[in-house]
Amino acid sequence: MSTSSSSNACKLLLLGRCLRAVLLSVAIQFLLLTVFLLSVNFTLLHPLEWVTGTLRLVASWYTWFASIPLVASVVLYGVSLCQQHLSERPYCPTRYRWLLHYGPRKLLFLGAHLLVGLLTAWLYTGYLHTDYQHLRYKCYAKECVSAYHVYLLGMGIAAGCYYFVSVHMRQEISIEFPVVDQSRAEKLRELLYGSFSRSLVRSLLPTLSYTLAFWLFGPLMCRKLSAILFVEVDERLEGFFGVATNLRLLFYGYLLTAQILSNMHLMRCFYGILLSEDLPLVVTKQRAAFAHEQEITMVAGLGVFNVYVVQCLAAHYFYKLALRKDSTQRAEIFQLTEPGNRPANWRSLCDQCLSILGSFTEELTESMQKISVLKGAQSLPMPKISEPVSASLMAEKLLLRQYNQMHGIRPIVPPKKEDAVDRAADGIRYMPNWCERVSTQLEQALQRLIQRVPGIVYLFNEPEGSKTTFLLANSLPVVYMTQALAQICVASLKEDPYGVVQNDLPAIIKAINKLRNELDKLSSVIGNIKAPSSSFYVLRCAVRRSLYAICNSFCDYLGDILPPGEELRQLQDLVCQ
Amino acid sequence: MAALSNLKQCPPFSTLPDLALRHNHIPELERYPQINLNHELLAHPAGQRFYGGQSFVPVDEGVLKRITRTFFDGGFWESLEEARSPKSREQAPLIAQAGDLIAQILGLATGLRLKILPHTQELSAERIAQFVETRDWLNSDVRFLAWNWHFFSLAVAGVDDVVRIYFKNSSAATATVLKSPSQTQITCMSWRPLCSAEIVIGCRQGLCFWEVDSSLHLGRTNAPSKVFKHPANLPITSLQWNKDGTQLATASIGDRSIIIWQPDNGMMQPLKRLGPPGSLLKWSPENDWLFAATVDRVFRVWNCNQQWTTERWVCGPGGHVQTACWSPCGRFLLFVSSAEPIIYRLQFVQQSLLSSSADEKEILPIADLNACSIDANRTLIGGPAQQLAWDPHGNYLVVTFKSTNCIAVFRTFIQKFDLQISAAYYLSGETATEHPSFICFQPLYKDNDRSVLTIAWSSGRIQYYAFD
Repeated sequence: MSTSSSSNACKLLLLGRCLRAVLLSVAIQFLLLTVFLLSVNFTLLHPLEWVTGTLRLVASWYTWFASIPLVASVVLYGVSLCQQHLSERPYCPTRYRWLLHYGPRKLLFLGAHLLVGLLTAWLYTGYLHTDYQHLRYKCYAKECVSAYHVYLLGMGIAAGCYYFVSVHMRQEISIEFPVVDQSRAEKLRELLYGSFSRSLVRSLLPTLSYTLAFWLFGPLMCRKLSAILFVEVDERLEGFFGVATNLRLLFYGYLLTAQILSNMHLMRCFYGILLSEDLPLVVTKQRAAFAHEQEITMVAGLGVFNVYVVQCLAAHYFYKLALRKDSTQRAEIFQLTEPGNRPANWRSLCDQCLSILGSFTEELTESMQKISVLKGAQSLPMPKISEPVSASLMAEKLLLRQYNQMHGIRPIVPPKKEDAVDRAADGIRYMPNWCERVSTQLEQALQRLIQRVPGIVYLFNEPEGSKTTFLLANSLPVVYMTQALAQICVASLKEDPYGVVQNDLPAIIKAINKLRNELDKLSSVIGNIKAPSSSFYVLRCAVRRSLYAICNSFCDYLGDILPPGEELRQLQDLVCQ
Repeated sequence: MAALSNLKQCPPFSTLPDLALRHNHIPELERYPQINLNHELLAHPAGQRFYGGQSFVPVDEGVLKRITRTFFDGGFWESLEEARSPKSREQAPLIAQAGDLIAQILGLATGLRLKILPHTQELSAERIAQFVETRDWLNSDVRFLAWNWHFFSLAVAGVDDVVRIYFKNSSAATATVLKSPSQTQITCMSWRPLCSAEIVIGCRQGLCFWEVDSSLHLGRTNAPSKVFKHPANLPITSLQWNKDGTQLATASIGDRSIIIWQPDNGMMQPLKRLGPPGSLLKWSPENDWLFAATVDRVFRVWNCNQQWTTERWVCGPGGHVQTACWSPCGRFLLFVSSAEPIIYRLQFVQQSLLSSSADEKEILPIADLNACSIDANRTLIGGPAQQLAWDPHGNYLVVTFKSTNCIAVFRTFIQKFDLQISAAYYLSGETATEHPSFICFQPLYKDNDRSVLTIAWSSGRIQYYAFD
């Protein structure tokens, strides 16, 4: 199966899951509505009537018809989430490029949030007292705009907007694998309990903020609306006390916000739960004629670079497989093909992993060269060794230099210019003519001028360390893959009957060690760039642990696996402390 | 019960007829660090530690001001105590009476709550001591021992809330010291697997992660690299890493959930079940199962490979699981209840091909630990067990007791579907009153494949005992 066909097959699988997530999201609307109605219609003296009345209301024809717009908006929300999960994630070096690529998608998503918020508020107000139910109501035989209704509709929009700003505006949607792999029912149960209780606390701040804003601008809004609808103005919510003393309205607003926030959180988590479930991958493809055509191998899954979720799922599958002792699938990795007796499974897996690791390390190294602090530290001459000093002292000096560089502390002795670089060997230097000189100066002046225009640098310059940040934020497949590869190498000591792994051990160790060295360099400046520190620590710890696992298992053979040199010494130091 | 192995035929180690068994001293042990924590505690008592407030002279304050300050310094309960103190009672009797009234009302409410939810009582040090594996945890010089999984390094947690780390040939003077104000009442600790020098310490404040490197000798690092608090601010009473060091399971005697942490990204997930709070965790060697005891009769075994499903068991009346250990092969779990002096076995191996995995497990008693006299002086051995430790080769099981001072050594023979156990001999301290506080086995290293038992005695002395 080619890369594009495996990508399509995986996308199809994931699309099915997204569809299930949308259905779950739709179903949860009715549960949330029931919770809302139970809360607002609570009667202590007639509990049976309270429950049956609420359930009758939820199951009524009115609810089915009135909830159609909300269901449609939820589907739109789901489609938008699905698109973000399954679409490619290119690197956008400048903010302008980011806006071009992600702007329309984010706008659509914001629209979906506002729509879900508004329609939830509209649906829920339909079940409240007549004062809250409609936009117009009769006051003293005149038609008025209901300030209560406006308040609640506005609260719905504000809650949707708040959720988008706090969760989705800056961050890209990504899946998170659960810490422990529980059953789906258990996950959903935990999620429901957690969401309801958390949203009750989380909705306090937006409710209060919106109420404050409504006190300031609400009357103005109501007047505008009454002018548009040619009706009278409702003065019930004018003034601070008008808003602050209406406890019932505040309670409805608070409850509505909690419902909307938990609704959106639940929809996001349904996608997370369903998409993070294992993909039905295989190690070896069946060659028999009746074999399933759509069978996707783990290696093919790892190679689906354009869908990040698929790569994560394949790497996670590989990690789980590598950890499972006595699993037939782990044994398949070490098997030889028949006929041919070739380690095809291991070959393809190892090549794929090394290629991903190598390209990640290269990109990381390249991106780190653009970080000025690191660049500065690298350009600094190495401390001259006048007498035999230990490696730790050298490392100490380098760290001190990096620290000075980072905090703008200049060295007391200015660095000497390398004469050999400046001066040509024969002493003849190229002198540009006046025309060229003027043109260069003009160009530089123009550049300086443009850069002074506010927003130009912000929009069109690549922020420092942004590529590194991007790589670290998308490093989950590397985290799982490195650990899995290390586990396979360790297991090969006992389980690899044909010794298929041993030839590749040097390459694997070198690749992981190279990444470790780059991450160690980055660790000194990680606080200076806006990289997600948790992603960095997860990657760094995973890489270090993987290297430690391999070196610890092959400690006695390290000298045979690697040529003598600095790398061997480093690894021996790592294990034999 | 007559068929059970018991301690009556247990000879003392010094009178063993087989000389091969008595060669416990190997030259390698001479290079092990000689530790006596009591000497170190006397040399650097905790009382000598400097706390910021010590050098300031108290000033006279008004009652209200004093109560307010105490409220901001120590919280509501301390301020209430301050209001009811004799000094306040003397200066402002009305305030003291109001404090009494509030305390009475709160006492009634607390009493009612404890009747409904008895496990929510305050977690005092005495209560912690009741459930940890260390004997006389409150007063013992050594509170916990932890060996590094990969190379020679022993961490010793003392009663002074300091963890000392010893390497081969190191002495008390060269030991690396880990101490921090956010690390008091240490109950457990463990080195992180697949890491050269990361240790996590479970204490009253939560979890303290330390990176033990050479800079600690220079006194540069004086704070843990990470501190994780329990979500309900409870002390951690048991912790265990999984085998690849990615997940850390913790239990607290105030919390019904077991928490699984992923320390690298700071994520955690509670495993919730109804029932009493957890007290002890033991992960099977291959991490297929997680044994979780509670403060009551209930204990659970979580199947980590099958979506973390759980099996619930109940042990004998009126007790809780005091200690447990897995066989090195991971097929057998031994545990002892605090109420009965009997070692029970739980088997995790499919005996027949057709039976399902869930209903075949049964708990069988395998050894009787009832106290018996072992010499003419009527020295007793046995009684309720304090701690179990199984050697990494699976040949010996070591048991310490709550009320008697000798250590019983059982010989074990692990077969595919069965486990045989017989009393071998016993070990005793240098004096009759010396009792073992904590025991653990050193993991097998590349350069040493002998099982070495490490015993922390009540005198603060640490002894190494090599098995054949």
